[in-house]
Amino acid sequence: MTDPYSDNLFTKFCTSVFNTIDKPVTWFRERVVVPNRKEYPWYHRSYNRVPTIDQCYTDDPVCFFEANEQWIRDRQVDREIVNILRQRWRDCAFYEGVDAPVKCVELQKISEDAETNFFIKYGDLSAYANVKDCYMKQKHRMLWERRHGPVGTGMKTEQ
Amino acid sequence: MTVLSVLRTAAGPARLAITHNSQQVAKMSDHRAMNIIPSRFQWNKFKDMLHLYFVGAAIPLLAGIGITNMMVGPATLSEIPEGYVPREDEYYKSPITRFLVRNFTRNEQMEYEKKMQYIWETEHKRQLRLIEKRVKKLMAERGDYKAWYYTPHIARKYQRIVRKETEELMERRPAA
Repeated sequence: MTDPYSDNLFTKFCTSVFNTIDKPVTWFRERVVVPNRKEYPWYHRSYNRVPTIDQCYTDDPVCFFEANEQWIRDRQVDREIVNILRQRWRDCAFYEGVDAPVKCVELQKISEDAETNFFIKYGDLSAYANVKDCYMKQKHRMLWERRHGPVGTGMKTEQ
Repeated sequence: MTVLSVLRTAAGPARLAITHNSQQVAKMSDHRAMNIIPSRFQWNKFKDMLHLYFVGAAIPLLAGIGITNMMVGPATLSEIPEGYVPREDEYYKSPITRFLVRNFTRNEQMEYEKKMQYIWETEHKRQLRLIEKRVKKLMAERGDYKAWYYTPHIARKYQRIVRKETEELMERRPAA
């Protein structure tokens, strides 16, 4: 079956108007530019894993520096991951339109879980946070959970 | 450039028309008259600057970038082969960036290692200085070591004389 959009006169007219600019440019690129170029590679930088902050001694600033740099890179990676998952949900919602609350529920759940986990790890630290602040945040959360139970069940008062 | 000078000679008659057709004429002592017209300074300056920024800067840069992209072209992203350590400029896509990184920029890994070396050195110095500070504080508190806070008293006999005289003075003036 032919494409219903192609044997339409109006579409053909619009395509030919577009081609007045597109055809010369494409011809120039495919016949002149691309054969004159050589293919050569570029790579993404790959960083080795170094000891994390929980494996560093307290009086070792070099270890701290490396752990901090690694934490900054990992935080950027986590930010991009959350962004990608959110974008997937948004694309689904845009495509489905009105049906989005019904059809995009899995993607919504995945995205919201990722955001929650990101906030647990990196949220509410200041703009000048370093890896030690993040580590202490984890420690304080574990202490709080030891005293009051899982997060979300409320603080226990003195009985 | 030749385009623009052709335009200038073509505009000659028009310019004469502008200057010689104005209503105001200043008849001075000589037979010639000076035609008073509004200033064309800003317009001429604008054309001059436009010409400079396009012909001197924009067109050469755009031509250079265009020729680089047509002749050399950007790189293609690929996996790092096993056991291969890429050069610093092989981490960038555009050939112009690669040229700058190869010839003018500092090596990122080297700067990282230098920074760590600096931290290590200053940490050593800091620890030594902390120890010095602690030792000095203890010497001040205890006064049991001769290095800091020690004044050698060599004039003990003069001290005895002064003490005896001070005591006799205090005896003579009881309620001073």
